[in-house]
Amino acid sequence: MGGGGGGGGENEMYGSMEQGNEVDYSAPLRHQEMSHSVASTSAVQQRTGSAGGPESEPSGVIDDYEVVYVKDNVSVHPTQNALGRISGRLRLIKQGSSLFMTWIPYSHGGISRQGSNVVIKGGLRNRMGSRAAERDRNLYTIRAVSLSEMRSIRRQTPPFGWQYIIIVLTSGLAFPPLYFHNGGVKEFLGTIRNHALLVRSAEDANVYLVNDIQDPLQRSLTSLELTEQPAPSAPTSSQEAPWPVVLKQETPVAAESDGKQEQSLRQIFKQEQRSESGRRRDQARDLSMNVLEKFSLVTKFARETTAQIFGESRMFLDGLDMDRGPVPRPPPGPSTPPDVEVLGIAKEARPLLENKHMKEESSSALNSADEEVVDDNLNADDDAEEQAATNVGTFELVDGTQDDTPALVWGRARPPPLGTEEWRSFLDSEGRVMDPKALRKRIFHGGIEPEVRHVVWKFLLGYFRFDSTYAEREYLIAKKKEEYEILKAQWQTVSPEQAKRFAKYRERKHRVEKDVVRTDRTLPYYAGEGDDNANITVLRDILVTYSFYNFDLGYCQGMSDLLSPILYVVDSESEAFWCFAALMEHLAPNFHRDQNGMHSQLLALSKLVQLLDRPLHDYFKQVDCLNYFFCFRWILIQFKREFDFENVLKLWEVLWTNYLSEHFHLYMCVALLKRHRRRIMDEQMEFDTLLKFINELSGHINLESTLRDAEALCLHAGERGAACIPPGTPPSIPEEEAGGWSD
Amino acid sequence: MSYAYLFKYIIIGDTGVGKSCLLLQFTDKRFQPVHDLTIGVEFGARMITIDSKPIKLQIWDTAGQESFRSITRSYYRGAAGALLVYDITRRETFNHLASWLEDARQHANSNMTIMLIGNKCDLAHRRAVSTEEGEQFAKENGLVFMETSAKTAHNVEEAFINTASKIYQKIEEGIFDVSNESYGIKVGYGGGSGTAGAGRGDASLAPKGGCCG
Ligand SMILES: Nc1nc2c(ncn2[C@@H]2O[C@H](COP(=O)(O)OP(=O)(O)O)[C@@H](O)[C@H]2O)c(=O)[nH]1
Ligand SMILES: [Mg+2]
Repeated sequence: MGGGGGGGGENEMYGSMEQGNEVDYSAPLRHQEMSHSVASTSAVQQRTGSAGGPESEPSGVIDDYEVVYVKDNVSVHPTQNALGRISGRLRLIKQGSSLFMTWIPYSHGGISRQGSNVVIKGGLRNRMGSRAAERDRNLYTIRAVSLSEMRSIRRQTPPFGWQYIIIVLTSGLAFPPLYFHNGGVKEFLGTIRNHALLVRSAEDANVYLVNDIQDPLQRSLTSLELTEQPAPSAPTSSQEAPWPVVLKQETPVAAESDGKQEQSLRQIFKQEQRSESGRRRDQARDLSMNVLEKFSLVTKFARETTAQIFGESRMFLDGLDMDRGPVPRPPPGPSTPPDVEVLGIAKEARPLLENKHMKEESSSALNSADEEVVDDNLNADDDAEEQAATNVGTFELVDGTQDDTPALVWGRARPPPLGTEEWRSFLDSEGRVMDPKALRKRIFHGGIEPEVRHVVWKFLLGYFRFDSTYAEREYLIAKKKEEYEILKAQWQTVSPEQAKRFAKYRERKHRVEKDVVRTDRTLPYYAGEGDDNANITVLRDILVTYSFYNFDLGYCQGMSDLLSPILYVVDSESEAFWCFAALMEHLAPNFHRDQNGMHSQLLALSKLVQLLDRPLHDYFKQVDCLNYFFCFRWILIQFKREFDFENVLKLWEVLWTNYLSEHFHLYMCVALLKRHRRRIMDEQMEFDTLLKFINELSGHINLESTLRDAEALCLHAGERGAACIPPGTPPSIPEEEAGGWSD
Repeated sequence: MSYAYLFKYIIIGDTGVGKSCLLLQFTDKRFQPVHDLTIGVEFGARMITIDSKPIKLQIWDTAGQESFRSITRSYYRGAAGALLVYDITRRETFNHLASWLEDARQHANSNMTIMLIGNKCDLAHRRAVSTEEGEQFAKENGLVFMETSAKTAHNVEEAFINTASKIYQKIEEGIFDVSNESYGIKVGYGGGSGTAGAGRGDASLAPKGGCCG
């Protein structure tokens, strides 16, 4: 890192960072600008070019919105028969800081008068000859769904046929698949990515997890903070609800030519509340909200496979559509169990029914008989939804009560830690770890039970090789113990006479002794005063031995913090030494005298923040804090001082998996800074106040949610994130030295 | 809480001389022999009264280790006072004073008030640096000198408050432009309306940007 031309008195690092920013960031910036220009082009097109389209924009409904994405010939396929397809226009609309999605089927003025061939803009012919078809059309209309209400988007690319997406809402409801007959899925996702945080799911590469616009983490984290207070019984107002409430926003546009339908969803919601069935449904919704507040919803995206959605929507229509016209009806799918079907209806019916209600309010096309049938269905749906909301297991609810922050953000609670049984299942008959990657993944997501921690850590740290057998490890332990004893003897046999002439030794030993008595003394394992605890003596012996083993590096403050949990877990002097030595292979640069390891990590952090939170980066730049010194302690000793001891163990094993990134700790930093960005910026924290604030976070950080946020950020950043981190930035070490870390 | 002035301090010196203990004794009035060693820079604060004016001391406690100096140095800027601490029972901590002083002079503002502290004076039987030597070093370098014990609290209040008095005196004499926060002084509410334009500004955490520049 060459020093930039920082002026006199300014530290060198700051100068070089500034320079780095200018150079390295042009690429993502350019990318962003480009995407924006694409988006605004579509916006212009929407405002000017599409006047001849089948529908025109309602004027004056909402003044301040911008259509950032339009795609024609996006279809719903209620049945497998091509004739039943409903084609429409998909749009993303930006209003203020919120993004909405609408899908409006094409209408042809008085389609209810009589079915005729409707020629649609894209040249696609679609025959919709019956009232039933028109009803379908209205049922499927997506008026305006806020991105904050979306949980995920599944993209599916069948080998034959069109790409489609399935939108799953935070409430667990899903819209039917939207088929892109003219392509454009990628662009759709790209546009969303420009306005919201879109993260590819680690579980399923076809699934993108959605969060809200602009400042997604902040919003979800605000929600998290709120849920730590008593949960509101009936969240109705938009800002305060910890769970995104359906209908919480004014709809920006109700783009139908039928003027009567141009009502905001809120109004319709009110009308719904007036009707009885509507009220019952609200109760059901509130109930499900409550449950969702208290529990984490583990989403099984597998549920939303096309086949199921297909079956569910078909079943729904089968029940609803008593006098189906010429639309062919495929035989009911026998494969899905009935109760799942019922639930499926409930899940899917919600948005559909809202739209349906809208139709009822504004159109006289449906006769009273139809309405009765519909109402029956609504009641059935209520029951189903109530069941879904209360029956733990149906939704796969996981008790989140002992965790003060439910997994609202990314929809997945961390699985339980790796236990003894499961650990054994990772080993072959001779004790080799069969699939190190799967093991690392497992630990990354769930951590390790204390009773197997002492074994598994040795693998994670690289003291044991993943491909070693039980016998090989036995041998290794014995051999390494001998080696350790020899190293230890090197300084223990220094005679007083020799010591007199060995200032470096005296000084090192003294510094170690000064520090081990100031390390984790509140822990029973190290309790006491002075050196009256045998484990304190072990800490000292290991550290002094290490300073002989790695004489060039010697001893530095912070090492005792890194060693203490290792000794506590491994509880064997020589093995703790070798585990520590293995960790130091990665972290030694943190302690280099020139601090190059720390500086490169702080530099990478500044780039990551620039990538993932530009406004915060700009703020730090403005207040001259781009050196990120306030994060120094976090990075130097891997958050050792920020969490209680138990949580430090949990965090470290996650970091040591190197599963998503070798530099996951930097994403932890970003997640924490993002979480507090509002306070940092509102209170205009500066160099010193910022350090004070960050230091005082110690002991007040929720590990689980920070891990999830960091994971989401890491996935979101993807390659661009990795590109922020120069090769060789600790804890990376060159490939050939990797030893047990590689697999 | 409102204050007439806020002074920023920094505590420097070799590791283990008792910097953190001095801070804790001053802010919490207790001696905690069992505590974690300082990593990077930590923080403490306390209100004092000088000339019947409430003054807030914001104190930065630094890690003594060499390798952290590039980071701790950056906290020198914007400090109005510094406590330079050595351990009277360990000669080498006294021998390192010159290098600490040089560091401070180089990175802090020139008007910073520096107090030399010989700590652990309760351990008289292990004394390795005489009081006279301390006085001598202080005199040569224009520092105020005091021997303290973080354990018995001897002279701890005095050390911090004398430093504050010196700074206050400099303000009264108009040596500082108190509106320039790079001197490590902030003017708050609460009766600083004497000389030197006190009484302006506010006590909030939110000054305009760029104090560190
Ligand atoms: N007897 C005695 N011991 C002290 C005094 N001040 C600090 N210590 C001890 O010296 C050690 C180092 O103190 P600490 O404040 O951590 O030093 P720092 O590295 O300069 O912050 C601790 O173990 C304290 O118990 C003192 O005034 N008298
Ligand atoms: Mg200290």
